[in-house]
Amino acid sequence: MSAVTELLQQVVEGVGSGAVYASLALALVLIHRFTGIVNFAQGELAMISTYVAWQLVASGMSFWLALPVTLAVSFAGGMLVERIVIRPVQNAPELTMVIVTVGLFIFVNAMAGLIWSFTVKDFPQPFPDGGIDLGGVRVDWSSLGIIAVVAVVMSLLYVLFQHTSVGLVMRAVAGNPASARLSGIRVGRVLMLGWGLAATVGAVSGVLVAPVLFLEPNMMGGVLIYAFAAATLGGFDSPVGAVVGGLLVGVAETLAGAYVDVIGADLKVGVPLVIILAVLLVRPQGLFGRAAVERA
Amino acid sequence: MTEPATDSTEAAQATAEPDFLKVAGLHAGYGQARVVQGLDFSVARGEVCAILGPNGAGKTTTLRALCGMVRGRGSVTLNGTELLGRSPEQTARLGVAHVPEGRGTFNDLTVEENLRVGAHLRTGRWRRDGRTERTAVAADLERVYGYFPKLRQRSRQAAGSLSGGEQQMLAIGRALMLRPSLLLLDEPSLGLAPLVTRELFEIVRAVNEEERTTVIVVEQNAQLALDVAHRAHVLEAGRLVLSGPSQEIREDGQVAEVYLGVSVRSGKGG
Repeated sequence: MSAVTELLQQVVEGVGSGAVYASLALALVLIHRFTGIVNFAQGELAMISTYVAWQLVASGMSFWLALPVTLAVSFAGGMLVERIVIRPVQNAPELTMVIVTVGLFIFVNAMAGLIWSFTVKDFPQPFPDGGIDLGGVRVDWSSLGIIAVVAVVMSLLYVLFQHTSVGLVMRAVAGNPASARLSGIRVGRVLMLGWGLAATVGAVSGVLVAPVLFLEPNMMGGVLIYAFAAATLGGFDSPVGAVVGGLLVGVAETLAGAYVDVIGADLKVGVPLVIILAVLLVRPQGLFGRAAVERA
Repeated sequence: MTEPATDSTEAAQATAEPDFLKVAGLHAGYGQARVVQGLDFSVARGEVCAILGPNGAGKTTTLRALCGMVRGRGSVTLNGTELLGRSPEQTARLGVAHVPEGRGTFNDLTVEENLRVGAHLRTGRWRRDGRTERTAVAADLERVYGYFPKLRQRSRQAAGSLSGGEQQMLAIGRALMLRPSLLLLDEPSLGLAPLVTRELFEIVRAVNEEERTTVIVVEQNAQLALDVAHRAHVLEAGRLVLSGPSQEIREDGQVAEVYLGVSVRSGKGG
């Protein structure tokens, strides 16, 4: 294998895992746009969605039927979290809200352990084994499948936000909730919708990554850090940035693991942390984010 | 008190429904701060009413209490329906369109999207007459572009990239998309060049004349507001100190004293 195909091989694999990060990062960005906070529990919500999928498959449902059911359950779950957990503190200082999400993180994690135990579960691989050969670069069906599913989800979200009246209302609320109210928009309902969507997008990442990582309550901890790196790199207020950031982080992680001897497989988790640090030092608003400008 | 004899239709309108908006014993404020302390006034249907007064008199708070942005005590009825105790999204549904101080445009949205958000209440899918309503919204877009030709030129542009005057036009346009029966304008002249402000007030006058929309405008620029308004109320320290037809208020020495003449007398304000 030539050096070039070797590199391309790594990039392809990086894009595969990057798609998962992109999905969770997009969930983080959605919440940040709607509620103005970083939701530390986003990964755990995705984890519990994955358990729902696992339970459905374990009780005999086919994966491709379980997936839409899981996403619907996640959507409802996200709306409930907004209504029950977030709404009561939405006028509290940001720090209070962030700590509430940390509490939610611990609660959801413990609940998953209580219900499904902390032992590792095998999650079915929905995509066929093997792959295709593209000029010496081998692309697994599973990577292609992940990329395809994430691409479909992103496209649907794009159409929803840019081409429907519900999407327009959601963007209005994200941009200026006070003005949205004055136009008669029921902001509370729209925020519930936003949290529901975010939980759904996050659930996609959980379900896709579970066959690789195996399912257990702490599964999403590492993924969340990559998603933070992706959202920071892309810009916390940019959905497009989250996707681009996710793919870049995925590729960076794979390349660093393959080419930087010191890092190898064990220290790969250091890569997102370095990315976060570097972005905050050099360009805090991220690639696609806008710098916060306060009017004097 | 005499009705302005120059305009008989105006007088006829005013007598038709003199209590279209009726404010009685309105108190409002923020937490411990009681800003508005017992206001009584009425606005007739189709009237332009100016609320004037120095900084901190409670003009903005009054307007916010009407639309539900701040809580108020007392009574505010629009066409007989109580407004107090309702949220802004509810009063919007009753036909109250509030253009907040600082305009409140959706900067990330295009001009046309801003206007469509304004029509949000009318285009919901759940409406059985959704189709006719969509046609009506398209017609209203044209109507707003008719009042504000500059907005048509910039319809695909992000609202955040507009000038201050254009943003104020957009904010008023968005409010008009609601087809309001009561339009509340909070300091529309804020931060705008005098010429732009004058243009804006001319459009407000046109809207009022063509659609008979009742308008309440809060202004620091009393001269300008009095040119457009039929009646005016002068507030000071949360209470009404003077009410009457604009012409009388303009000629009244007390206003010059309390309000317009401050800069003349002390020689420094502005």
